[in-house]
Amino acid sequence: MSDSALERTARALDLVPYLLEHQGISTTELAKVFGVSEKQINEDLVLIHMCGLPGYTPLELIEMYYEDGFVTVSDPQSLKKPRKMSRSEMTSLLVSLDLMKSLRSDEIAGEIAELQDKLRQNMIFENPIVVVQNSGNQEFLQVLEGAIAKSSAVKIVYLSGVKDERSEREVFPLSIYLSNGVNYLNAWCQTSKADRTFRLDRILSCEPLSGIEHIDKFSGTKSEIETGLIRLKVARAARNFVEENRTIVSQTEGSESEEEILVTLNPIDTEWLIRSVLGYGGLIEVVEPEALVEKIKNRARAILELYS
Amino acid sequence: MSDRKTERLINLTLALLATKRYLKKSEILKNVMGYEGTQDAKERMFERDKDDLRSLGIEIEVGDLDVFFEDEPGYRIPEKSYELKVPELTGRELALLSIASNYWNDSILAPTAQSGIRKLQSLGIPVSFDFDFRAQYRFENPTSLIDEITRAISSRSQISFSYDSATLKLRHVEPYRVLFWNGYWYLIGHDLDRKDIRLFKLSRFVSPIEISKKKNQYSIVEDFDATVHLPQQNIDIKRRAKIQVRKDSALILRNRGLLLEEGNEYDTYEVTYENENVLVRELIWHGANIRVIEPLELKSSLIKTVEGVLK
Repeated sequence: MSDSALERTARALDLVPYLLEHQGISTTELAKVFGVSEKQINEDLVLIHMCGLPGYTPLELIEMYYEDGFVTVSDPQSLKKPRKMSRSEMTSLLVSLDLMKSLRSDEIAGEIAELQDKLRQNMIFENPIVVVQNSGNQEFLQVLEGAIAKSSAVKIVYLSGVKDERSEREVFPLSIYLSNGVNYLNAWCQTSKADRTFRLDRILSCEPLSGIEHIDKFSGTKSEIETGLIRLKVARAARNFVEENRTIVSQTEGSESEEEILVTLNPIDTEWLIRSVLGYGGLIEVVEPEALVEKIKNRARAILELYS
Repeated sequence: MSDRKTERLINLTLALLATKRYLKKSEILKNVMGYEGTQDAKERMFERDKDDLRSLGIEIEVGDLDVFFEDEPGYRIPEKSYELKVPELTGRELALLSIASNYWNDSILAPTAQSGIRKLQSLGIPVSFDFDFRAQYRFENPTSLIDEITRAISSRSQISFSYDSATLKLRHVEPYRVLFWNGYWYLIGHDLDRKDIRLFKLSRFVSPIEISKKKNQYSIVEDFDATVHLPQQNIDIKRRAKIQVRKDSALILRNRGLLLEEGNEYDTYEVTYENENVLVRELIWHGANIRVIEPLELKSSLIKTVEGVLK
């Protein structure tokens, strides 16, 4: 679907001043910056090319050249300066800065605060969005961010909850995400040759690896993955299970207001599934696979035996 | 069709920006390209265009009715209300902003953060990239609810929505702030039914929001601090549990606990907790490798939960 006239107008008004400061930019790059297709950018440019001031002789039109996919603006007419920021643009930027600030414990946090003050000077409206972030749990954040930026590896010692063991791994950090107050690291684990997710608060040590320093022996055990169809019946009171595990939920059936919903999961570590379901004490019921039902019940019996 | 309208809107903006004096409506309809048809049709078109530009946040000033215009108003867009003015930013600051604006990869805030940064990049500040971080963060995607709630906040309009909770379904709230707290989005506001300030998780909204047409229905105290209304994590209310942990197991629990006594088969640890349910789940995670000694309530709560699985 093509954009509305209003969206296109807004974009055109932003495009001209941007081009003025980025002379000779390629349309491919422009499309990326403005988040639209290259075809759309080309159509926008053709259109802008025909706009100008009353009179509309070549002297009064916006003067623009595009050759071989590169664009130059020589006369922007009255569109020299970018438009002022909208409330939502300003809010989004300030919230982004809030977030970045909360995730840093170094001197950059101070720089960000100064920058925010500077931007707020010109703000005539209140900022309706507040960011509150736990400051803990970020010990290794900076090392990991550095590794992500440089695409380099780090050596971590990790406590695995599922396998209940301590392992040393060489990983290539890919991204960090935050869920339910906990920072997670997504990384390619060179040691187990697979994509892995690590909780930052379970990383015991973390150091950048210089050069190639392979950890040859993998100290951990292999995990067993549940690859077949996994379906769970989740009661309303266990709703947070779905919220906290959005990344592995492939489908939910039943409306949100019903007492129970049916949840289908992506392939997942068997041990993780057993332990998680067990903790909800019957609020989550395994529908499939059947083999899992017995495993969970056996585990429950083993626990109860301790107290009998 | 969309092309012609876009073109006309751009031409109108250009003309109103270029003029120092007010342009009469008749001048605009005659000279700005794109106004066609009968006088009536042109005027209607112009009225719509003005509304459209205003909806983009462009201020169109209407000139005072003076002798020259007789009863015809004049229009212009003052440069100073149109143009972006920010205090001088350094290249380093712009770089920080670019990194921050990328935090919202593909969420609802991303397009506005991106268009905001594009405008700043159109100011001719040379960017210097001397940061060694460019981390990718992923969060719960803010939903379009945020946009609606912030609009209601700025007009001080009450909202109502269905909320997924055990008791009251339909909520009437005076929205105060949208809160991003530990990775989740919340609304904080005055709950009109409960007559108290409450938090609502946006992921539990089960209906679209209805925003009252009325404005300025309430006020927000000037120094409103959302953080005081968050459930407190108070060290003083932490409780302690005594737990036996089987040798070489439950490493995570050992890591956060305090070793009280080493034994042959089990070691005894003390762990602190705030919420019993959360601890029960954590302990069950370790299966038959842990055994609760005290408190008693914790023990029976754990047993009850595990028995629930066997029902």
